[in-house]
Amino acid sequence: MKWVNRQFGDLDYDENMVIHFAEGLFGFEQYRNFIIVHDVDSEPFRWLVSVENADLSFPMLEPGMILPGYEGHLGKDSEIWVLAALKPNVQQSTVNLRSPIVIDRRSYEGQQIILDDETLPFQFPLVPPSGATGGR
Amino acid sequence: MLVLSRKVDEDIRIGDQIIVRVLGVKDGQVKLGIEAPRSVRVFRGELYVQAQKENLAAASADRSSAKAVAASLTHLGGGDTGTSK
Repeated sequence: MKWVNRQFGDLDYDENMVIHFAEGLFGFEQYRNFIIVHDVDSEPFRWLVSVENADLSFPMLEPGMILPGYEGHLGKDSEIWVLAALKPNVQQSTVNLRSPIVIDRRSYEGQQIILDDETLPFQFPLVPPSGATGGR
Repeated sequence: MLVLSRKVDEDIRIGDQIIVRVLGVKDGQVKLGIEAPRSVRVFRGELYVQAQKENLAAASADRSSAKAVAASLTHLGGGDTGTSK
């Protein structure tokens, strides 16, 4: 299949790579079908790219990179991603640990959920606040 | 907006599959019990709104800003991140 995304240009993908979100993503419910794009230039980010809206893509990270052990309670059969809100200043960039993307590895059905755990923030700093000495 | 008054233990039926019951009222807080089919997603309104807001912020990122941010993420190790397809 061919698709042209505004940021990534021509994308060639197989139908079986398409992740179907029956409910869409919050605020973008009308778009149901996405592929994951690995753009080497912006590693370690991956991109959840709509194959229905050429302007729509979300940078995301594996949550284990941000918070080790995060995936633990979400099940082994699923691939988990967290979306990143990127700002020109990296210090202001955040990842959303509260409503991750959950993709069934077998069926490629995707869902964005809201976790009950109130200790997980919607805006978790991508880098430790300056002055912090790590160990978070 | 439809406005209804309900007492504790009374309910509201939305269609034939959704029941919202008032379980209790205490200190200005109303406790509700909701029964709905699994396919109907139920969220606290403010969480739904915040999730929407974060998605909107995430969707506005472009590749070049991601590249710039990625360059400052050396603390995450970068390199092989595994499971992408």
